[in-house]
Amino acid sequence: MSAYRVESHGRIKHHQPVSFTFDGETVEGREGDTVASALLANGKHLMGRSFKYHRPRGAIAAGSEEPNALIGTTRSEGRFEPNTRATVQEIYPGLKTESQNSYPSLKYDIGAINDRLYMLFSAGFYYKTFMWPRSFWDKVYEPFIRRAAGLGVSPTVEDPDHYASRYLHCDILIVGAGPAGIAAALAAGKSGAKVLLADEGAEMGGSVLSEPGVNIDGCSAWNWLEARLDELRGMENVTLMTRTTAIGYYHQNMVGLCQKLTDHLTTLPEGAPRERLWRIRANQVILTQGALEKPLVFHENDRPGVMLAGSAQTYLNRYGVLVGRRPVVVTSHDSAWYAAFDLADAGAEVQAIVDLRDKVQSELSDEATKRGIRVLTSHTVTGTSGRLRIKSIRINPLRGSKAGRAETVNCDALLMSGGWTPSLHLFSHTKGTLRWEDDTKAYLPDQKAEACHIAGAGRGLWGIGKALTDGGEAGVAAATAAGFTTIAEAYPVENDREGTGISLRELPTDRSPGKAKAFIDFQNDVTAKDIRLAVSEGMHSIEHVKRYTTNGMATDQGKMSNMNGLNIAADALGKPQTEVGLTTFRPPYTPTTFGAFAGYHKGSHFEVTRKTPIDDWAEENGAAFEPVALWRRAWYFPKPGEDLHAAVARECRATRESLGIFDASTLGKIEVSGPDAVEFMNRMYTNPWTKLGVSRCRYGLLLGEDGYILDDGVIGRLSDDKFHVTTTTGGAARVLNMMEDYLQTEWPDLKVWLTSTTEQWATIALNGPNARNLLEPFVEGQDMSDEAFPHMSVSQCTVAGFPARLFRISFTGELGFEVNVPARYGRALWENLWEAGQQYDVCPYGTETMHVLRAEKGFIIVGQDTDGTVTPDDAGMSWAVGKKKTDFVGMRSLSRPDIAAPGRKQLVGLLTRDSKTVLDEGAQIVADPKQPKPMKMLGHVTSSYWSETLGRSVALAVVQGGRDRMGDSLYVPMPGKDVEVEVTGTVFYDPENARLKL
Amino acid sequence: MNTQPGIQAALANVTSAGPVLLAILPEATRFSLRINSGNLAAASKALGLSLPTTIGTRAASGTRSALCHGPDEWEILASEDDRADIEAAFAAIYLKAPHSLTDISDREITIVIEGDKAVELLSVGCPINLDRLAVGNGKRTVFDSAQVVIYRDARDSFRMQVWRSFLAHVWGLLNIANCELAAGY
Repeated sequence: MSAYRVESHGRIKHHQPVSFTFDGETVEGREGDTVASALLANGKHLMGRSFKYHRPRGAIAAGSEEPNALIGTTRSEGRFEPNTRATVQEIYPGLKTESQNSYPSLKYDIGAINDRLYMLFSAGFYYKTFMWPRSFWDKVYEPFIRRAAGLGVSPTVEDPDHYASRYLHCDILIVGAGPAGIAAALAAGKSGAKVLLADEGAEMGGSVLSEPGVNIDGCSAWNWLEARLDELRGMENVTLMTRTTAIGYYHQNMVGLCQKLTDHLTTLPEGAPRERLWRIRANQVILTQGALEKPLVFHENDRPGVMLAGSAQTYLNRYGVLVGRRPVVVTSHDSAWYAAFDLADAGAEVQAIVDLRDKVQSELSDEATKRGIRVLTSHTVTGTSGRLRIKSIRINPLRGSKAGRAETVNCDALLMSGGWTPSLHLFSHTKGTLRWEDDTKAYLPDQKAEACHIAGAGRGLWGIGKALTDGGEAGVAAATAAGFTTIAEAYPVENDREGTGISLRELPTDRSPGKAKAFIDFQNDVTAKDIRLAVSEGMHSIEHVKRYTTNGMATDQGKMSNMNGLNIAADALGKPQTEVGLTTFRPPYTPTTFGAFAGYHKGSHFEVTRKTPIDDWAEENGAAFEPVALWRRAWYFPKPGEDLHAAVARECRATRESLGIFDASTLGKIEVSGPDAVEFMNRMYTNPWTKLGVSRCRYGLLLGEDGYILDDGVIGRLSDDKFHVTTTTGGAARVLNMMEDYLQTEWPDLKVWLTSTTEQWATIALNGPNARNLLEPFVEGQDMSDEAFPHMSVSQCTVAGFPARLFRISFTGELGFEVNVPARYGRALWENLWEAGQQYDVCPYGTETMHVLRAEKGFIIVGQDTDGTVTPDDAGMSWAVGKKKTDFVGMRSLSRPDIAAPGRKQLVGLLTRDSKTVLDEGAQIVADPKQPKPMKMLGHVTSSYWSETLGRSVALAVVQGGRDRMGDSLYVPMPGKDVEVEVTGTVFYDPENARLKL
Repeated sequence: MNTQPGIQAALANVTSAGPVLLAILPEATRFSLRINSGNLAAASKALGLSLPTTIGTRAASGTRSALCHGPDEWEILASEDDRADIEAAFAAIYLKAPHSLTDISDREITIVIEGDKAVELLSVGCPINLDRLAVGNGKRTVFDSAQVVIYRDARDSFRMQVWRSFLAHVWGLLNIANCELAAGY
């Protein structure tokens, strides 16, 4: 077995070997190992190359804050993930892992040339290096940056996994299951409140997992932990979630949790989602996220083998791994001393403990002496050596802030601690305020903006005893606030390791600080001198420093680098930290897969797709579909070999010559009902409604308060008190909301009520000279003759035995009917009409043909021919505005001077001089294409089609003063040519409406 | 006659069942009743049950029930045979107690969701706290962005009404999630 594995230590299963591969080599670990712990157990510190300089890097931490050890993981085809933190990924048999950002190999990487050229890559180098010459940007700089940017490679195969999501409501959510979180859960759990305790790790326990020597409540720490977790598991009102990261804290105590369900499993259970996103709504939230250890900033502090002391302690006590057999410890905090003792007790020969401070507690130095460890207080570290792993360090005595003569000490690991930073990420998401504590050089939570509680190291309390007490109190406070009663138990702790320390900037050195590669942000390769350079170049806010240097902008979001960066920037500015600020933490707390965010919204459920009762028939009959609002609608029905153009030409011909059938079910429908229905209609729509007879229809125009066209549709009067209102497909919800808004806020006195009936009715439109011939035999209860049932009529009758609302209306210019039947009968009616219609060669048509046929008649489509700035007069529809009306929504705006001014854009027809040319929709219109640029735009083409009926193209457009330009020539610049057009009226086909009068 | 193609398509997409029973009910009678609170007595008499006045509560009598959606809005459910009688009874009080009684029987489809994991299944798309939905009550809410009305008939038995065009989406998602439950997740 490897020289670094310690069988007597760790929580892993030493007798359960697990093999996986790293860069193709088989690595043996043990069940419970992470990739990082297994590699370290095999003496491998080198795990990756840094982003900018391609410097060799190893794991610096043992948890989710790891900036260096990013790897690609592969389970099977399609199940590849880049940038996974080796310190978090649990191993299982068959796992394949690979290093990143190196070529041709991790040990010999060509990109490391950047390290020699580091002077070129100083802070802001993007802005400086790639500025000039301008012509280099497209061909040289951008491709270079794109190639160099980004860590890892994107997966190339579609992800076969599925991702789940759920909502969950609880009384108390506790984030972080360290001692504070567990004590909080115990207290809150006993109250009977619904409690959720989540932890990002595979195991609960937090720092207790790394401190087996502590005694809690008379038991060893781990026995206490097991017993207490069992107790929690036994509470029906408490849910425990491991491998679950709280990624974001949103308004009103909604917290997003990402739970990894299968990434640690050897085989994937059938049907199991890979991850689940929980949207938690909690009455109270307790944040017990603990603190993160801070690196020390000195020359070559990034060499593989240099690691956080607390992480080394974790590797030993959780994973049974000595990260080095001859480590040196360098620290400004007591905690690293304990790490040194643990490693020494496990068999490591600790070469020295270097402490930046003048003095430490005598208990610490005594314990060190007892273990034969050399103690060097008031010393600093000024460099390291070793190509792919640390071999030695330079240690210098300190006189004041000056470093004296260096001594070289050999080692195989360097454990550092610059103190601890309370984890404030989630608290900061809530916009809670922070206060600066100068003693510990740390920000702590201050004013809260949500119903949350912070306990333990997250608010600067060190030691397991304090965390337990504080957590218990937070549990009580949260339970009380949620309306429950409970008390916190006392958990007496022995052998606790509380400790204090100081916080430093970059360490003093006897060499030129300007040449020091003293890293702050390991992932983005930002050094202390980059921060100082940024300040000297004028970046005075920490937010500017961050963006100029990219400090804290990597995927670890500056978990390790923020405070060191701030301390150095504050020093360079000569200001206190509070005046320099702290960069904003944003969700997610740790990198989160796109899959987790997308959840079920992929493939068939990518987006809600509304379907009509006739949708299946269209699909069975080969329809091509197009999305219209959330609906999918039959676009056209191609026959074999037909393209859109050919199919639409055929559908138009068939409808004009004989009979077309169209699914209009998506049209919005609103039932307006009550004694004041007609008054309400008068107030909402521009048209007059009082004199509209029962069983008659009218085209209605709806404006916004601004006087611009908002929606339109045909409206039928079913009785004195009841209207069947139709709206555009996309406008249905908007129009109903607007009507309800007026009704509830402006006219609550009106006795009228609105009900959405869009989906109550399936609507089938029949158009063409044979429409009545087909329909008449099916209709009972309505004389279908032109005299008894003229154009713009509505009847409640029976069609094919189904109760129906039958409209005689036309959006094509042909004799037309729209049959509404209860939705359940929609398809049956369609099939009846389809079958009987064969004698008339009935042709199903889609939205494209509908668009062409209506454009030939000059009927507008709101949102296509109007754009929210078109008045009824602009659209040539002043006829739809009741002249004698005293008010309707938007009426007042129509008299505003610029709405009534001449020269507004007006809807007109355009005919190309070359009848075969079809204009591009959206194309601009000019008077003279030879005029100098920029040309004066007169308007644009809103609708343009090939009209099979007319054998030529037709178009609608909005043109400045358009109605005064009838017969004029204008030009439409299109790619490669300027198209000459004649301005015409908007009705191209049957202007006398003779075809409606059949 | 149930010739509901959307449902057939949705059912055809079911690949495996989970622990929660999912079924689509045939259409019954459903009305939206809008009436001012001053006229409740007349409306209650016409319907044959006392209209509840707390939003989310429901009253039932025989084959008829009413769920209060708002201060002036109720959803009435009844058997197919009741439709004409209810319409006639309300028409008779219209002049004295004006209101709107709109047939929305076909607007929504009803899905039965039953089993001890029913609440978990609904939590996949429904953001409200279903623990607070008492047995016998109902609630207008959303399921994965589609508007729905959820009735709780028993601790573990729900009916969810979804607008017809959203059915394929909602039904599909319920089945995906039911498979997760079947897999133990």
